Amino acid sequence: MLSLRLLSRDWRGGELALIATALILAVTCVTVIAHFSDRLTRAMQLQSQSFLAAERVVSSSQLLPQVLLQEAKQRGLEQAQSTSFASMLSAGDQFQFASVRAVSNEYPLLGELEIRRSTAGASTKVQHGPKPGNVWLEARLLPLLKIQLGDKLQLGNATFTISAIVDQEPDRSDNLFSMGPRLMMHIGDLASTQIVQPGSRIQYRYLFAGDDRALDEYIRWLKPQLSAHQKVLDLRDGQPRVASALDRAEGFLYLAGSLAVLLASVAVGLTARRYSLRHTRYVAVMKSLGAGRKKIFQIYCGQMATLAAIATLIGLLLGSLIQVYAVMLMRDFFPVSPPPSSLLPTLTGIATGCACTLGFALPPLFRLAHTNPMQTLNRDWSNPDRREWLGLIVGPSSMLLLIWWLSGSLATTAALLAGLGLLIVGSALINRLLVHSKLANLGGSWRIALGSLQRRAAFNTLLIAAFGTALLTMLAMTFARTALIDEWQMQVPEQAPNHFLLNITSEKLEPLRTLLEKKQLATSDFYPMVRGRLSAVNGTPVRERPQRANALNRELNLSWSSTLPDGNRLLSGSWWDQIDKGVSVEVELAARLGLELNDQLRFSIGGLEFEAPITSLRSLDWNNIRPNFYMLFAPGSLKNFPATYITSFYLPPEQKLFVNQLVRSYPDVSIIELDKIIQRIRDTINQVSIAIETVLALMLVAGVLILVAGVRASIDERLQEAAIIRTLGGNKRLLLQSLVLEFGLLGAVAGLLGAAGSEITLAILSAKVFNLPFSMHSALWLTGPLLGILLVGTAGTLSCRSAVSQPPLKVLRGLS
Amino acid sequence: MSIILKAKNISHQVATSDGPLTLLNNISLQLALGESLAITGPSGSGKSTLLGLLAGLDRPSDGKIWLGNNEITAMGEEQRAAVRARHVGFVFQTFQLLPGLTAKENVMLPSELRGERKAAKQAEAFLDRVGLSHRLAHYPRQLSGGEQQRVALARAFCSIGNRDETHSSGVLFADEPTGSLDAHTGEKIIDLLFKLNAETSTTLILVTHEQRLAQRCSLHLQMLAGTIAVDSLPDGDDNYSAVSV
Repeated sequence: MLSLRLLSRDWRGGELALIATALILAVTCVTVIAHFSDRLTRAMQLQSQSFLAAERVVSSSQLLPQVLLQEAKQRGLEQAQSTSFASMLSAGDQFQFASVRAVSNEYPLLGELEIRRSTAGASTKVQHGPKPGNVWLEARLLPLLKIQLGDKLQLGNATFTISAIVDQEPDRSDNLFSMGPRLMMHIGDLASTQIVQPGSRIQYRYLFAGDDRALDEYIRWLKPQLSAHQKVLDLRDGQPRVASALDRAEGFLYLAGSLAVLLASVAVGLTARRYSLRHTRYVAVMKSLGAGRKKIFQIYCGQMATLAAIATLIGLLLGSLIQVYAVMLMRDFFPVSPPPSSLLPTLTGIATGCACTLGFALPPLFRLAHTNPMQTLNRDWSNPDRREWLGLIVGPSSMLLLIWWLSGSLATTAALLAGLGLLIVGSALINRLLVHSKLANLGGSWRIALGSLQRRAAFNTLLIAAFGTALLTMLAMTFARTALIDEWQMQVPEQAPNHFLLNITSEKLEPLRTLLEKKQLATSDFYPMVRGRLSAVNGTPVRERPQRANALNRELNLSWSSTLPDGNRLLSGSWWDQIDKGVSVEVELAARLGLELNDQLRFSIGGLEFEAPITSLRSLDWNNIRPNFYMLFAPGSLKNFPATYITSFYLPPEQKLFVNQLVRSYPDVSIIELDKIIQRIRDTINQVSIAIETVLALMLVAGVLILVAGVRASIDERLQEAAIIRTLGGNKRLLLQSLVLEFGLLGAVAGLLGAAGSEITLAILSAKVFNLPFSMHSALWLTGPLLGILLVGTAGTLSCRSAVSQPPLKVLRGLS
Repeated sequence: MSIILKAKNISHQVATSDGPLTLLNNISLQLALGESLAITGPSGSGKSTLLGLLAGLDRPSDGKIWLGNNEITAMGEEQRAAVRARHVGFVFQTFQLLPGLTAKENVMLPSELRGERKAAKQAEAFLDRVGLSHRLAHYPRQLSGGEQQRVALARAFCSIGNRDETHSSGVLFADEPTGSLDAHTGEKIIDLLFKLNAETSTTLILVTHEQRLAQRCSLHLQMLAGTIAVDSLPDGDDNYSAVSV
């Protein structure tokens, strides 16, 4: 009862409110992130599975041996199969190139197809493909072939009835570069078409689903038996680009969340310290009245436990509400309603509340319980700092354990530990330099300000470290967020190319260019393309070389360019301004094939042999949406070979019908439509950005809390000194100047340390967490100290304004 | 008469940056139940330190102290706190009321710390005895200095005089109880203190600079530089009352 009464009465003092706010903030932050991550991960899992139409897929350019499929059956796994290829369709005198997919009865194992039985009808979801003798078409094919639902069409040697329009298939994005509009058929009809012949370019997909353990075991058994042109696709292959954005976002969120917890904890620690100092007198009185150490600890622990429990509950509630809002924002991204959170996020929130309270709020109270009751008689209310070490060990230790748990990364935790250690050592050194500087010789307010800093040198070191930590995290996370979101936006800028045109012949090049220009559609360059196979390296046939890669099993798109295309970076060798022949090879492919500069490559193009030395190695930005080539030749090198061209362009959604015009006017040109996928990626990125900014905002609030807590932690002493100076004749201006100088100096030093720390942190984050290129941030070094002076100076001066504005007697009475 | 407080050869040193500093040097005394002792002396003579040690707030560096039947110098902090809770009341120069608690709650505090259930009724009764029954729900900041010290008196007597005993086994320690009050208010507080002391037969030890106040006590001990300079304590078997040597 007594502890609850003291809790309600002490609320007015402000410290408990600040501790509660910091705890709420920490728990909210962690709960939001944990909920978000938990639901996101599980939704991603569901979504990826539906993007794959299965839990695992084996993709192959050859039929998979029956023995492998038989094994899956014996292990009780569900199976489905699909076969994809490009082929010409005909209906009457109309012809159209289409992307054909033949599926088995079991397709899809996961996810649903959306079909329409009439042109104007609504889509319905089904979990099967067309029946034998029937085909389903993409709507665009109907006007192109001038046919209706129910009509017949010819595919190879067989005739089929068009029974539905297929609007959506779960794993359509599995092959972005599937050519042309979709035709879906039953796999049993494939033989009757007589299209698939030995040597045909076919993509076989074997879909599997079933018990997780059985599936994992089967895939483990299967993998060693697959050849280089067969690969297993799992969850994250469903949408690699989105997965990578979400991975980074998750990394950022957990890091920002951990730092917000760290900041909030420091705020809790500083405030609890002041609370403990202010309560030294009460405890001495209670002890003199017969309260023992245990009783005092019981009273204050009861008080803090109640406060922590209420704050944790509020934090959990707020966290849940915010995550519901975040998931609602991202609902378009999820194909199905994301599954409800597990219990883990709530447990994480509770653990955070406990860690903050146990690590940061209780050690000062522990010290409080050791107050000497003799203090009631000698009226010395200073709390001897004999047990300050306890807080300095217990707090950071519990926090590092929590961060380790949250981030799951020992490297991140170690980096933070090292950063904090450096910050404290740096604070102590700079503080020492400052108080021993000649600045005091400037007299007046400088002497008062430096004198004040000197008197509290030990605590100021802690304060600078706390302010520095706050500024470090605020700066680092703001800069990281900018870099991260900018990078994403750069990958899919507003008008990123969303359509590709392939197989453009030389004759069609100019008319097509003119048409696109007339429509005012921004295109990337038209890149020439010659299809050829790498046949030998330095005279050794590739099939005899130890290094194998998919690229050796198929024809490569060879191109040439006078300039280094956007997103390409020359890593070694020379570009064509210095030499006029040779080939530039993408560096990762070169590594896989064991290729080095000056190696002589032999290509087989249309039965003709062609040789070129490797003159440079390039890196490619695979994330940008534009034509990219493994092999780029010097202009003119491939002039004797027939080339087609490729380009990409941005088509605004309102001009989508232009695609039909293109298909009709240029039937031999292949069109790849990426607009829906790009839009989905962009939406996801925007929504994840909102999540990041929400957490960042929470973290910035935690940073500001530290500033307030830090200033308030030493305010009583400062107010007392200021009142005494005024009583002794110091004028308001002198006092105000000294306060501004004192807090300004603290802020500047903290800002400088914060900037240095941020730069190091950003370097580590760029390399280890976000995989982004690192560059120095000159703006940090200016922003850090300025922000420090502004925030700490303002918060400090405002908090101490009563020392200047009120009569000194009132200030002293208020303190007693 | 039964002895309620006994100190034997107590000395006390504290560590300073210049080496150990002796605050008290070989002091012995004893008090019988219901007696009152005034400790006077100049600032820094060790009055308050002696008061604190006799009340069991700290342990002397040397010597022994008995409060009632308990040798408090042989006890740990928790045990000493338990003895204080049962036998000790305090009145301080600066009142030392908890600002977050009302007058009644401040008086209830010692009983609450002991875990007693009748705390509220007893507190109201003692506040009535000090004439503050109309100020039960007021916070210290809403009370005058004199009223605050009356609340402190009520708290002290509630702490030691609330058991069903003919004579309280408690000792009231008062550290310059009029030090923060004007002469007139101080006089009233002292009257009240001695009135309650007589009513409850409490043993009283008070530290004061005021000779008039000291003269109202049955015994007087004057201190100088940590030793007893002059005393009016009765000689005992163990030479407890002599000027310390």
